[in-house]
Amino acid sequence: MNACEDTVLQVEDLRVCFSNEQGKTEVLRGLSYCLQKGKVLAVVGESGCGKTVHALSLLKLLPPGGEITGGRILYRGRDVLSMPQESLRKLRGAGMSMIFQDPMTSLNPIRTIGKQIMETIEAHSTVSKRRAQARMLRLLKKVGIENPRQRINEYPFQFSGGQRQRIMIAMALCLRPTVLIADEPTTALDVTIQAQILKLIKNLQGQNGMSAVFITHNLAIVADIADEVLVLYGGYCVEQAEVKSLFAQPLHPYTQGLLGSLVSLKRKDERLPAIEGYPPAPGTPEEGCPFAPRCPHAWEKCRAELPSLFEKDGRKVRCWLVEENEKPREN
Amino acid sequence: MLRYILRRLLLLPLVALGVTFLLFFLTQRLSPEMRASLYIKDPRQMGALEEVIEKYGLRDNVFKQYGRWLSSALHGDLGYSQSANMPVAQAIKEYLPATVQLAVVTIVLVVFFGVWFGVVSAVKKDKWQDVCARLLSVGGFSLPIFVLGLLLLMLFYGKLGWFPPGGYSVSTDVIVHSPSFHPYTGFLLIDALLNGNMTVFWDVLRHLVLPAVTLCIGSFALMVRVMRSSMLEELGKDYVRTARAKGLPEHAVVYRHAGKNAIIPVITLAGIQFIRLLGGTVIVETIFDYPGIGRFGVTAAQQLDIAGIMGFSLMVAVLFVLGNLLSDVLYTAVDPRIKLSE
Repeated sequence: MNACEDTVLQVEDLRVCFSNEQGKTEVLRGLSYCLQKGKVLAVVGESGCGKTVHALSLLKLLPPGGEITGGRILYRGRDVLSMPQESLRKLRGAGMSMIFQDPMTSLNPIRTIGKQIMETIEAHSTVSKRRAQARMLRLLKKVGIENPRQRINEYPFQFSGGQRQRIMIAMALCLRPTVLIADEPTTALDVTIQAQILKLIKNLQGQNGMSAVFITHNLAIVADIADEVLVLYGGYCVEQAEVKSLFAQPLHPYTQGLLGSLVSLKRKDERLPAIEGYPPAPGTPEEGCPFAPRCPHAWEKCRAELPSLFEKDGRKVRCWLVEENEKPREN
Repeated sequence: MLRYILRRLLLLPLVALGVTFLLFFLTQRLSPEMRASLYIKDPRQMGALEEVIEKYGLRDNVFKQYGRWLSSALHGDLGYSQSANMPVAQAIKEYLPATVQLAVVTIVLVVFFGVWFGVVSAVKKDKWQDVCARLLSVGGFSLPIFVLGLLLLMLFYGKLGWFPPGGYSVSTDVIVHSPSFHPYTGFLLIDALLNGNMTVFWDVLRHLVLPAVTLCIGSFALMVRVMRSSMLEELGKDYVRTARAKGLPEHAVVYRHAGKNAIIPVITLAGIQFIRLLGGTVIVETIFDYPGIGRFGVTAAQQLDIAGIMGFSLMVAVLFVLGNLLSDVLYTAVDPRIKLSE
């Protein structure tokens, strides 16, 4: 992986372990990618595949028990993992900011939302209170909070779930971060608001050259917003490709399954096809491809040996099927 | 909010009525002769026993006697305390401020150190700071007040002579009761400051140290535990992660966010502890010969001073209701989600 000039975020072989009384569990097993300025990377996968853990480790916010055991995270060339505490604090919120999954619990229940946004701005920049407040009000209006001037004095419990999520979004955007990490940011929102929020994020991308890591399981959003897609399965990256080519021709059987379960107006099937079985429990010790037990094309080799991340036409895929198919042509 | 407070205050007479009647009923288990004998100081006058019984109607029906007590109590007359040699109302006025003063100093110490140690203990979980705080807390729980009190008295008065027992020295007593010293509030610490008399202030403070420290220990141990577990719970919550992700400095994350949420249960606890201190400093006041309301109560009980007992328990009941109300009101101040309504 070559770091290009515009790279704002580079992740190399990121490994995360969770430990408890029973021992260590590796939930992220070597993740690598490169995020360019102004681009959006979508990370897709089922629950428990390591999406959220990956997002949290980018800002070193893993919960107790979680530990980054290997790899590097470079933000504009600076190593996040070895950064001193104060630099890390300055990076959080301003350089890389984050939108969390659960809007109901992610805001402080006994602090007015105005204070919660203002303190974010004040922790990082020296703008006057008036300008900071003006910026906050503008942003709240943009995310669709009516009467922001009155509502900043209210507490989170006085807002609906969707409104709280939008407040979270405003909070994450208030410092115009270089990289936005969004962990299922629109899951709690209804479709119209969802569209507005996506539009807002796109605008910011265009205006400020903001990059984003978008974690989602909603493939419609992926198609709408992402430039590149990374598919996670069982802690591994199983496929990584530019968005158009991925949707046009998914290579990995898992990606094919995911796309196959999409609803389309043209579709006439009675039932949506689903991928049989369940994703592996995090850290299941296994040999071979993590998807093999559910894969319709799996053969002995898949069960015996983990495929490597195979590169083909600028995309990467972790599947023996693809790799074996390519080999004869090379010979 | 106002309606809630008014409704709670309406409850106050009911509680007071219940408590005082119950106690009155219990004192009636003593024979009229026994109750009357309290008023006769000289054994040679025992013949006058029947006279006293007759005069105060001690043989009357319980309700009739209680009615008499109640009607004079409503007129502000709580009777004459034989044990304190003054009217009960005056005794309360004289002794209560000293106890309130002690309780306030104690609760301030308890909340300050309890919260501080609890927070440090939670933030430094399983590190040496946490181990120390927990040991201190277990020690505080296990050490009975009277043992600790006597130990402290032995060490700091007996050996070192730093902190004497009693409420104040004789010289202070003279100053305080001289006409040039204005008792603005009844609280000696505040009065001393208002009179600009620092000698009195330091003297009173010096006498307050040991009883306050002794009283602290048990509540402090409880406070550390509650604050620690509350803090640990809050630190694991999502909004704390959000606060970190926003790039707030760690002290803001710990105190402004987690701390303020964690302190909510501590506030109720502090309210209850405060009331407990007002009515329950009996042992400590006795050990340190502190001239407070607890000592008055215990002397009244020992000498079967029925008027004194009634007055003391009425006061405790009133304070209890008011204290609970105060802690409810405080609750709404720290937690916007709580509204005192129906």
